Amino acid sequence: MAMQPHSKKRVCYYYDSDIGNYYYGQGHPMKPHRIRMTHNLLLNYGLYRKMEIYRPHKATADEMTKFHSDDYIRFLRSIRPDNMSEYNKQMQRFNVGEDCPVFDGLYEFCQLSAGGSVAAAVKLNKQASEICINWGGGLHHAKKSEASGFCYVNDIVLGILELLKYHQRVLYIDIDVHHGDGVEEAFYTTDRVMTVSFHKYGEYFPGTGDLRDIGAGKGKYYAVNIPLRDGMDDESYESIFVPIISKVMETFQPSAVVLQCGADSLTGDRLGCFNLTVRGHGRCVELVKRFGLPFLLVGGGGYTIRNVSRCWTYETSVALGVEIANELPYNDYFEYFGPDFKLHISPSNMSNQNTPEYLEKIKNRLFENLRMLPHAPGVQVQAIPEDAVNDESEDEDKVDKDERMPQSEKDKRITGDGELSDSEDEGEGGRRDNRSYRTPQPRKRPRLDKDGSTIKDEIKSEDSKDDVKNISSVEEPKKEMAPNP
Amino acid sequence: MAANMYRVGDCVYFETSSTSPYQIRRIEELNKTPSGNVEAKVMCFYRRRDLPNPLIQLADKHQLAQSEDSPIAMKLKKICLKTPVGEEQAAQAVLDPALAAMEEESSELPGTDGLAPKQRHQAKHRELFLSRHVETLPATHIRGKCTVTLLNETESLLSYLNKDDAFFYCLVFDPSQKTLLADKGEIRVGSRYQTEVTNLLKDGEEDVRVNEELETLVWTPEHGLTDRQIDQFLVVSRSVGTFARALDCSSSVKQPSLHMSAAAASRDITLFHAMDTLHKSGYSIESALSSLVPASGPVLCRDEMEEWSASEANLFEEALDKYGKDFADIRQDFLPWKTLKNLVEYYYMWKTTDRYVQQKRVKAVEAESKLKQVYIPNYNKPNPALITSNSSSGKTAPAVLNGGTNGTAGVAPGQLCASCQVTNSTQWYTWGPQHLQYRLCGTCWQYWKKYGGLKVKTAGVFGETEVEVAKGPRGEGEDTALSVSHRPHRCTVLNCAKEFKLRAHLARHVATAHGSGEGARPVMKTRAAFYLRASPFTRLARRLTRALRRPRHYARSPFSPINLQQVKHECSIAMAGLGGAELRAAGAAGAGAARVRGPVGAVAARLAAARGTPVPAARHDWLTLTPKDAMPAPPHVAFPKPPKAPDGSLMYERVLSRAEIEARRAEAAPAQPLKRRAYDDINGLDRGGPGRSSLEGAAPPPAKRPNKHPAPMQRPSREQYAAMCARAQATGQPLPAHVFTHVNGKPTNISGRGGRRHVISWMDAPDDLYFRATETAKAARRNLSCGELRRGARAPWRAMRGGACKAAAPLQLVILD
Ligand SMILES: [Zn+2]
Ligand SMILES: [Zn+2]
Ligand SMILES: [Zn+2]
Repeated sequence: MAMQPHSKKRVCYYYDSDIGNYYYGQGHPMKPHRIRMTHNLLLNYGLYRKMEIYRPHKATADEMTKFHSDDYIRFLRSIRPDNMSEYNKQMQRFNVGEDCPVFDGLYEFCQLSAGGSVAAAVKLNKQASEICINWGGGLHHAKKSEASGFCYVNDIVLGILELLKYHQRVLYIDIDVHHGDGVEEAFYTTDRVMTVSFHKYGEYFPGTGDLRDIGAGKGKYYAVNIPLRDGMDDESYESIFVPIISKVMETFQPSAVVLQCGADSLTGDRLGCFNLTVRGHGRCVELVKRFGLPFLLVGGGGYTIRNVSRCWTYETSVALGVEIANELPYNDYFEYFGPDFKLHISPSNMSNQNTPEYLEKIKNRLFENLRMLPHAPGVQVQAIPEDAVNDESEDEDKVDKDERMPQSEKDKRITGDGELSDSEDEGEGGRRDNRSYRTPQPRKRPRLDKDGSTIKDEIKSEDSKDDVKNISSVEEPKKEMAPNP
Repeated sequence: MAANMYRVGDCVYFETSSTSPYQIRRIEELNKTPSGNVEAKVMCFYRRRDLPNPLIQLADKHQLAQSEDSPIAMKLKKICLKTPVGEEQAAQAVLDPALAAMEEESSELPGTDGLAPKQRHQAKHRELFLSRHVETLPATHIRGKCTVTLLNETESLLSYLNKDDAFFYCLVFDPSQKTLLADKGEIRVGSRYQTEVTNLLKDGEEDVRVNEELETLVWTPEHGLTDRQIDQFLVVSRSVGTFARALDCSSSVKQPSLHMSAAAASRDITLFHAMDTLHKSGYSIESALSSLVPASGPVLCRDEMEEWSASEANLFEEALDKYGKDFADIRQDFLPWKTLKNLVEYYYMWKTTDRYVQQKRVKAVEAESKLKQVYIPNYNKPNPALITSNSSSGKTAPAVLNGGTNGTAGVAPGQLCASCQVTNSTQWYTWGPQHLQYRLCGTCWQYWKKYGGLKVKTAGVFGETEVEVAKGPRGEGEDTALSVSHRPHRCTVLNCAKEFKLRAHLARHVATAHGSGEGARPVMKTRAAFYLRASPFTRLARRLTRALRRPRHYARSPFSPINLQQVKHECSIAMAGLGGAELRAAGAAGAGAARVRGPVGAVAARLAAARGTPVPAARHDWLTLTPKDAMPAPPHVAFPKPPKAPDGSLMYERVLSRAEIEARRAEAAPAQPLKRRAYDDINGLDRGGPGRSSLEGAAPPPAKRPNKHPAPMQRPSREQYAAMCARAQATGQPLPAHVFTHVNGKPTNISGRGGRRHVISWMDAPDDLYFRATETAKAARRNLSCGELRRGARAPWRAMRGGACKAAAPLQLVILD
């Protein structure tokens, strides 16, 4: 691998080879098979060998009831296609039947999906990884006692609950074309989780996600909703994603991020109405990754499965910081990708109903809301000299103290692939143990945007190699103390 | 080109009638019919003009409430949020005093983004209501693209006005149920919905979670192998796989060639197995190699694709053909020895085969009837409403107004555009009911077609003369008399909503289907009530122009056309150079400012002098009124005072209509057997009435003209009335309608009297607006001087003065709409 525009991270990937064989039913758009297609692409692209691959455990009922209600999980555990008739009343109550059908192995499927996200969260907690991926997760519509929108068990909420053991503030970002209502509702009244969802709004499932929905009680201003219209393209998506996420990072200062990568926001999705390409979608992963926080990537929607697997394959490569060819490698499902057999897809000529003015107004309103956030509590800023040595032991000591990570855990940590040697794309001040994102000092940055966007500039300059240093300096934020619990 | 390409998902104009505005639809599907035409399955958007009035009012208030957080606003939001709101509820909600108050407050506010009134008027044309109603229309009726977006609170309506063909919506309308619903879900708050948030681990607290219990490592990148080494190992394992297939008898049958064996050995399952082997051997190529060729022979990995025999594959295809992708059924009836997982896995692999691709091609041909887009060229045929040049001088077809007592538009609209008043346009279109002879200029016509309204709020006839439409408590300019007439007549009784082409049909339907219903309310609009409010300029014009010098003539024949051009011309000459004050003076002078004639005594004296009578110099005794008691009583009263009803009103005899008179004439002939009588007529209210037997004949056949409360033939005597009233009071039943109604021929509603409500006979109503005087109203009236009352009657639009007005606040106007 020559020079990469991305930085290399330790990536853990969760997959169970059974996942592709769960089948929602005839005509149902949700196809777990897309996860297997992704997996096969990863193998044949040679990305598989660059990650830690884990088979997740099956989440137990105990684990699921950390969020879900006991009777709901008990119901999921007992319902089967052959005993459905005995559960008519409960099926209605838990909204199982139509969108969320009872299928063979339903509970196991939920167990695997949730098991992956929980294991990934624990992995991040133990600092055994920097980026964890669970394409089998991301089922963001599931509610506490209710299935919804093809989702039964909310693996995201379970994962975030796990992260909250070690992280004072967790950021959730959702780029599915649908509103991440399940996650938003679960954390609607807490200020420890900020949910940010970009979605089509208006005459669209699930109907929530209005600009005015901002959270309640202590959680007021901790739900951020970006209602969008048909035809979002790469350019306008980035134009709203970048400033919002930068501002959120700046004001909320999370110490871990979960990104739901629902691929139904891609162009040509069977259920979607956006016009994003794989590149534009993956751009979000890239942008979030740059903040250098413990990062959990989960799947989600995505109903034109060839594009879903293209997208998640590309995003895995982005997480790994590896460039992959546009030519798709041969694999078991190669024929799915005809007629071009390319990784990247072109946008359609659909019109974009999101005018720049509209996006600008939405952005400004959200900025107003974010200004209402109290300054993140308990965060002390400690700038360190720019040329601070990349001294791992020193780092580890600090982390140890701050995070109370048992020594045994620390010893088990695995050094990432070329993580220390590949300094050319890390920059000399590279650090990866930032526990919280801070706006980097503007020293190396060309200029600071008026609207507080902190990553816009580097994006523009990203392609020119001369700017590599600039990028990395921005990318690797300054060292600071961890938040006090 | 792209502009004429219509794709699924596009919002478009559809022209279904040349004279009404376009319909706005969203294309859901495009289907080719066997005859080669393209049909569009579309989802309907509705305009404001398509919605019942109460819903529109509610929608407006809902809109207002969005920007507020007051308790009322919250209440209002709730009305619309949870369940669909029907007309009845909407009407009630709108009457809610709290909401009404909000309305007043907000009318003072700049309202919608501080738009000018004209803009606000036009913004209403951009509002649509989403529906889930789907219909099929020929694609050739498409007349262009438009956009419909959910209004976002950050947006100004101006951004829509500034863009052509841009519409917004906020609410969802159900055309069959006639309900409104907000297109918005709800995040619920409460312990049943939120999660308990995990606490941060405290110092020294141990995390019970251990990664080892949650996952199994399958591969690590910390293997110390180079990419090259891994690739080599993969080749080796594929080779082993190929060799294993050569040794395997069962597979040699299926893979007759070496190439195919190699291909089979190159499938992903072999590669995954190789990776697993490497991992299990601790990334030692050497030990991994040896585990590829254990003592039992070379490792053979086969996936479902290879596992299945040809006959199984055929069975599967057959089953798929029969059952579709119902794998449980396929398994049960065709392949019980396979597991469901086998089937699913095989299915997804089978999709990569030639067999599938062939089938897909067949299906693709079948699916060709489903189009993704369609090209519709611009529509160039002239609209039938277009006035061709030789007829543009104006038709002189006899036009008859309703003949209403206070009819207006005696002035024919002539050459002006009914919307923007221009006189010059390259194209003119006839617009509105034919007899009104309205016309629109080219631009206004386009506007009307696209946005379903006129650019300017009112259909001005001349100058600033306004034709106002008497409507609900809140006169809404949107819905002019004209647009009303374009609507089908729809039954407004809850859960009925039948539609009729003719009002008469609706009337009959209401009478027969709902006539006696408890909840039935006067629902009909007999005709649009409107009156001409003469502006100062109109009055001035009347004085100044010779063309208008025959006011009596025009009053008598309101339909005879007036040459507006001439009026305008003369006015402009006469008014040229006059200042505001002079104009006012001219108007006042013309308005017949009272001539000064001196006191009445002097006038009398002058009159006497003129007759040659000697003038009584000192006192004009003859001018003094005779005291009332000193007046001589007439021996015979030509028109005796009718009896008084319990509420103090006089009870006049009903004036018979011609039909009734004819019916009476027929009555003289031997009585015909009654065919059918409505329930009420048999069991109804008139039972005790005097002259019952003769009444039945008097009533015209119910189907043609329902008249539930026929008037008695003869006026009952005082004694009879007294008996009726007493009986009615004792039984708690209301009196027969004719006892109360027909003051000036206008029926009044006597609801609120306890007992059953009456449906007034709207067919008799000359006007659809009537005033229901409550006790307070009557009290207020008593506070008014005679002069004030008269003034009020003459200028009903003017606000009553001071205290009287306040006292009259709870007056109730009942609108028959
Ligand atoms: Zn989705
Ligand atoms: Zn005009
Ligand atoms: Zn009806």
